[in-house]
Amino acid sequence: MRALTFISARMPMLVATASLLLLVGLPLLFVLLQVIFPELTRGSLAQAFSPLWKNLADPELIELTGNSIKLGVSVVVVSALIAVPLGVVRALTKLPGAALWDVLLLVPFMIPPYIAALAWVMTLQTNGFNEQLLGFSGDDLVFSFSGIVLVMAFNIFPVIYFAVSRTLGAVGGRFAAVAQVCGANPWTAFWKITLPLSLPGLAAGLLLAFALSIEEFGTPATLGAAIGFEVLVTGIHRRFSDWPLDMPGAAVLSLILVLLALLAFWLQHWLINRRSYVSLTGKPTPFEKVELGVWRWPVLAFFTLVCFLAVGVPLLAVLATATTDTLSGGLQWNNFSTRHFAALFANQDGALAALITSISLATVTALVTGILGALVAYLVVRSNFKGKSWLDFLSLLPNTLPAIVVAVGLILAWNQTFWPVNVYNTSLMLLLAYSCLLLPYPVRYTSASLRQLGENLEAAARVSGAGFTRSFIHILLPLLAPSLLVAMLMVFAIASRELVASLMVTPAGMQTVSTFVFGQFEQGSPGVGMAMSLVAILTTTLLLTGLTVFSRKKLPDA
Amino acid sequence: MKILSFIVFIVLGSTATAQSLTVYSANPNDLIQTLASKFEKKSGTKVQVFQGTTGQIMARLEAERSNPVADVVISASWDSATALKKAGDLLAYSPAGAEHVPDFLKDSHYIAQGVTALALVWNNKSKTPKPADWGDLTHADYRRQVLMPDPAQSGAAFEWLGGMLTAQGETATWNFLSQLRSNGMLVSGPNARALNPVLQGAKAAAIGAVDYIAYNQQASGEAIDIIFPASGTVIAPRPIMILNYSKQPEQAKAFVDYLLSDAGQTAVANAFLIPAREDIPARRPGLADIALIKIDSHALEARRGEILNQFRKVTR
Repeated sequence: MRALTFISARMPMLVATASLLLLVGLPLLFVLLQVIFPELTRGSLAQAFSPLWKNLADPELIELTGNSIKLGVSVVVVSALIAVPLGVVRALTKLPGAALWDVLLLVPFMIPPYIAALAWVMTLQTNGFNEQLLGFSGDDLVFSFSGIVLVMAFNIFPVIYFAVSRTLGAVGGRFAAVAQVCGANPWTAFWKITLPLSLPGLAAGLLLAFALSIEEFGTPATLGAAIGFEVLVTGIHRRFSDWPLDMPGAAVLSLILVLLALLAFWLQHWLINRRSYVSLTGKPTPFEKVELGVWRWPVLAFFTLVCFLAVGVPLLAVLATATTDTLSGGLQWNNFSTRHFAALFANQDGALAALITSISLATVTALVTGILGALVAYLVVRSNFKGKSWLDFLSLLPNTLPAIVVAVGLILAWNQTFWPVNVYNTSLMLLLAYSCLLLPYPVRYTSASLRQLGENLEAAARVSGAGFTRSFIHILLPLLAPSLLVAMLMVFAIASRELVASLMVTPAGMQTVSTFVFGQFEQGSPGVGMAMSLVAILTTTLLLTGLTVFSRKKLPDA
Repeated sequence: MKILSFIVFIVLGSTATAQSLTVYSANPNDLIQTLASKFEKKSGTKVQVFQGTTGQIMARLEAERSNPVADVVISASWDSATALKKAGDLLAYSPAGAEHVPDFLKDSHYIAQGVTALALVWNNKSKTPKPADWGDLTHADYRRQVLMPDPAQSGAAFEWLGGMLTAQGETATWNFLSQLRSNGMLVSGPNARALNPVLQGAKAAAIGAVDYIAYNQQASGEAIDIIFPASGTVIAPRPIMILNYSKQPEQAKAFVDYLLSDAGQTAVANAFLIPAREDIPARRPGLADIALIKIDSHALEARRGEILNQFRKVTR
């Protein structure tokens, strides 16, 4: 019996390992190879290491790395200034409409960053929407380093908000309550107990925000280009997509970017695992949340302001651009027009095909990462195989991989003549890129819920003669479904708007929503670009909501 | 199984390229989509388009050297065609209709499909006087009202700069630029989105803007004028070429023939480009209506680094 289980479980293990090596290992391997062998793309191993020294001595490299770090740190600081107060209030007080604020603060994940950046430009520049409505412009602000930081912070701060509110919610009340029983006043309890205990969680949120901001492409490409501010990601993109090409240079910069992100995640890991003195293993006991009292109005005003800036302004600017006939006509009733939407639905420039491509690719990505993620999580949590920690590492590694590096790696890997199948210049490239980048979501969510599931059911299934595959599909998957579904929805949402990898690996004859929108801006049709963004944001939101409602009815509760 | 067939469907959808033609295009997107679908209907050959800037197209060709994909290239810069011919990558071909194309717009290996010019684009709702020449923009009326793309990032802006250097000479050009700069001119990113601030009225005028985009926007009601100064500007012929590693040269030739046919050239004219064939009327000022500066792009390209450095110094 045991031997049988062993044999039948061996297969999934091999499948999982092979898929991970293909998805995650291969692109990284080729980036490394390119760093070492400059002539790799021409099928030669000549002049090994020469570009490495040349590129490491390039003064631009120091400037780009410095700019990336400066941007990352600034975005983290500003995001923290916005998110920490909000998160603390959300976790520890009786905030009116708490769930609603949580939902609203998820929306920035759905707005593609480059759309948000353009929306801010059209709002704040001289004679922009803001000046047309309120009479003043923010031209100097939006076209400056501070402008880039603010726009990015409004996109990224929810990461810190959710990290802070959840950690504090778990840590906060109990110990502080004990302290208060022992005579400390609420402020002392907060400063001396709650805050120190939540520091690791907070730090993890900050480092994640750092990693996200150094790998962001859309905002630096949109706003940075206007003021000559370049970071590693835009530097890689330029080396890789402008003539004359500099693949070795792009690979070296990619490596630096990965190292920076890895460093952030290593710090995060170190901080979290240091927290041995805190007991967080049990379920958090409910605690009495603080009444806001007279503070409720300023607090609500702050939440409203932040949501307005992070969600309201970008969406309103997108709506305004998409529904005005001409930009020079401005915000006038007689300038209202649906012609940009009409152009979309008349399939101008292949708009509908782009929408269908993005939705199908996002669906397939969600399915692939969902299945693979569940399998990997199961093997990591339940099996006794040696090397399962490697599996775990490989599956979470994409968290530290910037999208642009994955794209570079995939191009280098598949644009070779020795493969028996042709993957390069097919939509499979997009699927590989999205799956690699988004795999960590299902793995994370599933392994968390697997740890809560008892093993008796599986044992019962095996005793009754079911093999691994059968018990996995019939017992575990249905039980994991709710949390797996949430992760897959997240994958769907992000994959349907991914920009930088799409720009680089989309095959000839195909467009995704993001490359279509980017193209419309490049071709001087901002109205059509914004109309498409709006349709895409609405479509994904509706699909996600519909699917969630539908699945609530069909699936058992977690 | 369903998932598998879905994946297979998606993958096959894009690998079934054996009988299809792959075109890398720097054309306006709606133009190339129209041309591709009309050609498909006429010939039955499927056309796969990669749409990008000339820089992106050249980069992609280089990256794919060991494993080529493209059959036909439509570029926005004459230089790229010269470079590809020199590298031995092009197939010699003279399409039907070439006899109507003036000599300076064709070569044994490539031929212009259309021509664009670099214009001065002005928002006529701005409270500035209508400029007539580049030099007008140094006046106080245009303080902080002028924008130009960065020649380091925009091929068109570099050509415009080359035109100024050729027509006005070094000293005059650099003086002119430093005057513009002290008048608050913004040097901003690639050409692509340069017109956006002019449309919304953030700036009154853009220098060296690609004209067909502006004509398109004007046609859709934007309040802008497109001005070709009498002191001259630079034109950019947009060459088409067939790669000599194309696995379906016959279909590629048929496609190039189609681009130079009456129907193809009319589509070009409808996209507000100047058609390469003299016998097809343009919907905007043609070559005879624009004062042209002939530039030696090879000489300029050889001095690229030096010119960009000087530009940066002057406009910093």
